[in-house]
Amino acid sequence: MNRSAGSIAVLLLLALVLWGYVVGPLVSTFQRSVAGGQGTFAEYAPFLDYGSVQSEALRGSLFISFLSVITSGVVGVFLAVLLNRWDFRFRRLYQALVLVPIALPPLMGVKAFYLLYGKAGTFPQLLGQIFNVSPASLALTGISGVLLVHTLTMYPYFYLSVAASLAQTDDSLEEAAGSLGASSFQTWTRVLLPMLTPPIVAGALLTFMSSMASYTAPLLFEVNNVMTVQIANNAANRQPLASAVAVTLAVISVIFLIVIRAYEQRSVYRTQSKGGARKRRRLTSPVAKFVLFISALISTIILILPIAMIFLLAFSVNYSWRTAPLPSAYTTANFVKMFSDSNTFDPIRNSIEMSAIAVAGALILGVTCAYVTARIRVRGKALIDIAMMLPWALPGTVVAFNLIVAFARPSLFSFGQVLIGTYWIVPLAYFVRFSPLIFRSTTSSLTQLDPSLEEAARTLGSTWWGTFRRVVLPLTSSGIAGGVLLAFVAGVGEFVATIMLFPKLKYRPLSIAINDELNVGRWGTAACLGVVQVVLVLTVVILMRRVEDRKTITHTS
Amino acid sequence: MDELLGPEHQGKIRKVNVLTLEALTKTFQRAGTVVDSVNMQIEDGEFFTLLGPSGCGKSTILRMIAGLEEPDSGRILFDNRDVTRDPPNKRGIGMVFQNYALFPHLSVAQNVAFGLEVRKESSSEVKRRTASALGQVQLEQLGAARVDQLSGGQQQRVALARALVIEPKLLLLDEPLSNLDAKLRGETRAMLRAVHNASAVTTIYVTHDQEEALGMSDRIAVLNGGKVHQIDIPREIYERPATKFVADFIGRNNVIDAIVESVSADFIVIRFGNGSKVQILPHQKAADVELNPGTGVGVCVRAESLRLSDSNGFCSGELADVEYSGVGFSCIARTDLGSLKIEVPGSIQLPAKGQSVKFAVNEATLHLVKPS
Repeated sequence: MNRSAGSIAVLLLLALVLWGYVVGPLVSTFQRSVAGGQGTFAEYAPFLDYGSVQSEALRGSLFISFLSVITSGVVGVFLAVLLNRWDFRFRRLYQALVLVPIALPPLMGVKAFYLLYGKAGTFPQLLGQIFNVSPASLALTGISGVLLVHTLTMYPYFYLSVAASLAQTDDSLEEAAGSLGASSFQTWTRVLLPMLTPPIVAGALLTFMSSMASYTAPLLFEVNNVMTVQIANNAANRQPLASAVAVTLAVISVIFLIVIRAYEQRSVYRTQSKGGARKRRRLTSPVAKFVLFISALISTIILILPIAMIFLLAFSVNYSWRTAPLPSAYTTANFVKMFSDSNTFDPIRNSIEMSAIAVAGALILGVTCAYVTARIRVRGKALIDIAMMLPWALPGTVVAFNLIVAFARPSLFSFGQVLIGTYWIVPLAYFVRFSPLIFRSTTSSLTQLDPSLEEAARTLGSTWWGTFRRVVLPLTSSGIAGGVLLAFVAGVGEFVATIMLFPKLKYRPLSIAINDELNVGRWGTAACLGVVQVVLVLTVVILMRRVEDRKTITHTS
Repeated sequence: MDELLGPEHQGKIRKVNVLTLEALTKTFQRAGTVVDSVNMQIEDGEFFTLLGPSGCGKSTILRMIAGLEEPDSGRILFDNRDVTRDPPNKRGIGMVFQNYALFPHLSVAQNVAFGLEVRKESSSEVKRRTASALGQVQLEQLGAARVDQLSGGQQQRVALARALVIEPKLLLLDEPLSNLDAKLRGETRAMLRAVHNASAVTTIYVTHDQEEALGMSDRIAVLNGGKVHQIDIPREIYERPATKFVADFIGRNNVIDAIVESVSADFIVIRFGNGSKVQILPHQKAADVELNPGTGVGVCVRAESLRLSDSNGFCSGELADVEYSGVGFSCIARTDLGSLKIEVPGSIQLPAKGQSVKFAVNEATLHLVKPS
C-alpha cells in the first residue's frame, strides 16, 4: 500500500493512542521514581544494598523465576515427550486433559492450590493422618508453595512448544541417525534434544516472564519478597519506592520481550523431508506399557486436581471446612443463590460489561496496528510493534501502577477527568493489557495471508477498502476472533491489575468479588464464582476449536 | 527503428503503441538496481514476452506496469496517457499471478465474477459473462467448486478467466506455467495462444523458459541484470542474437572467440584459435560488432550447426558427455576449440567413447557478436 494522506493520519492516531495509554504512563512512573526530592536516583541506589527492600524483592523475584523455569521445564518436556512419542490406551484423553490447567482462573485457581497443599490443606491433612505426622510440617508454604503453583500452571509454555515441535518432525531423522550407526542414547543427545532446543528456549523465556509478573501466588502464599507484591503494597503510601521497583521490573520485562522477538525470528528447525506426520510407537514390553500408563495417569490426576477442587468447593456449604481434609457439608444452594443475589450477580455482570467495552476498543486498536505493521511500508513501524507489545510484556501490576500514576490527575487522554476511583479506569486497564492479544493473533493471520491475494483484488479494480472488506477480513476473521475471545476471557478473570484499581463496591468485577468472599471465609460462594470463570474459558476454547475445524479454507492459494 | 528489424520486416505498417515504458528504473534496498533505465514499446494486440533468468528484473517490470510497484524514475504510458502514479485498480489491466492468487474463501464462479462485481455490473450481466469466461477456458462445469478442490492446471485457468472477464486493455501473465508439469504446460500453452488469438487482447508474458517464449510470442524482450539486451521477433532472437548473453541464453549455443582476418564487400573471413577459417556474409553479425581486420569477435555456433565429419573440417576432438533425448543426442565434445555443445540426430551412429572425431560447421548459420 502506498504512502498516502490516509495512512499517515492513521499512523498519527495510533501513535497518539499508544503514547497516551501505554508508553506515556510508563514514562510517568519513571518520573515519579526520580521525583522523591532526595536526589534523582535515591530510590534506585538501594537495589545495590543487600538488605534493602528493593534488593530483596529483586533477588526474590529472580530466584523464584529461575527455579520456576527449571521445574516447569522438566514437567513440560516430560509430558510432551510422554504424550507424543508413544501410543497407549487413553493417550488422547490425557492429551486433552493435560491442557486443562490453562482454564484455571487466576485467583480461585491459586486458592485451590493453597487448599490442596498449603497449611491445613487436603494433602497435608491426609498424609498427616496416614503417616501420623503433624500436617503443618508437610504443608507447602512460602516459596515452595509459589513454586508448586508456577510449575503446575506454567508448564504449558514448555508443553505446547515442545509438542508442536515433535509433531512437525518425523521419524526420518532418527532413522538417518540409526543408519549412520548412532545408538539410542547418541540419537537423543545429538539429534533429538538439540532439535528441541528452540521450543525449550521459547518455553523458558515465557515462563520466566510469567513468573516475574506473578502476583496472586506470592500474595496467597505470603511471600513478600517479590517485586510485584512490593509494588502493590507501596502503591499508595510510598509511591517513589513502588515506582522504582515498577520501572526496574518493566525494564527486565522489556529486555525479555526483545529477546523473545529476536528468538522468534530465527529459523525454526522444521524437517525438510517429505515424510508424513510422526508415527507414534507402540511399546511391546508389558512393564514399559504399565509404567507409561501409570505415569500418564498420575500426572493427569495431579494436573486436574486444582480445577476439581474448585468444583468441589462450589458445592460445599460455606464455613463447613474446618480441620478435615475436605469440606464436610455439600449443597447446590450456592449456584441457585449466585444468580438471584445481586451481591454475586452484579460482579458477573460488571465483569462481562467491562471486558466487552475493553475488547471493543482493543479490537479496533489491535487490528489497525496489525494491518499497519504487516502491510504498510513506512519507517518507524517497528516502534508501533514494540509499543503494542509492551503491555503484554509488562506485569499486570506494573500496567495498573502506571495507570494510577498517569491518571491520578486530569489529563488530555482522560478527557480532563481524574480516572482513579471511577468505573472507567478498569476497562481502560483491560483495554491496555489485552490489546496485544488481538494484535498478535491478527498479525499472525495477516502474515499467513498471501499478499498476492490483495494484489489480485487491486488489479481487478477493487479499492483499498473494498479489498480489506472482501478479501482480508473474511480470511483473517477466525484469527481475529480467536484473539477477541482470548482477550474477553482474560478480562473477565483479570485480578492482579483490578485489585489495584477497582473503585466503588457497586462496580466490583468478578475477581474482586471472589477475593472478598474468600476473605470472609465464604469459600463455597467464591468457588461458585470461580466455576463461572472456568465454564467461560472452556466455552471459549470449545468455540475456538469449532471455528478452527470449520475453517476448510487454506490461507495461501 | 526500421534498421533494427530484419529485411523481411522493413516497410511494414507500424501498429499502434498501446504501452510505452520510458527509462524505467527501480532499485531495491537489498537487491540493488533491479530495473535499469528500460525502454519498450508494445503494440496493440501483440503477444509480447519478457524473457530472462531469475533476478533479471522482468517480474518487477510487469509489477510496475500493473501498478503494484512504483518506479524510482521513468514513465509508463497507456495509449500516451501517463499512468505512472495511477493505482492498480485504475489501470484497466488483468493480471494472472504466478501462484494464481485465487481467493480461497470464494467459489470458482465467485472468483471469476469478482472484477465484475467490483465494477457494479448487474447480476444478469455478471452471470452471463462469468459463464462465458469459464466456457472460454473449458471449466463450465466447475463454477460451484471450491478453489482447493481444483488441480493446478484448473486453478490456472480460473485465474485466466478471472483476468479476461473484465475485458482488460492489457493482459499481464507472470510465469503462469512454471508450477505445472511438462505435459500440462504444453496443453496450457496451446490454450493461452488460442485465447489470445480469439480475444486479440494485448498480452505481456513473463517467463524464464526460452522455449515458451519462442513458441508463443509475437515479439520477445530479452533481459539480464535489469537491462534490455534485445527486442525482436522470435526468429531473429534465435538466429541473430544481439549480444553474447542472448546467444548463450537461447537454445544450445557455443560462442567461440575468434579474430576477423579479412573484410571485403562480399564476405568476411574469420580465423579461429586452432587455425581453421570460415567465410560468412556481411549481415551475419549483430549491430554493434566492428568488422576490422584483427578485431576479436564471438562466433555463435548453434549446437545443431555442428556435425560429425570424415574430412578435416572445423575442429577435432572427442565426445565427452552424451545425453539421449529421443529426437537425438545432446552431446558435449572436448575439442581444440574448447568444450562445445553439439546436437547429433538419432539416425547417426555415434563414435565410441574416446575415439577421435572431426566436426564440420554450417557456415550459413554462423553469427557474430561482441566478445565478452
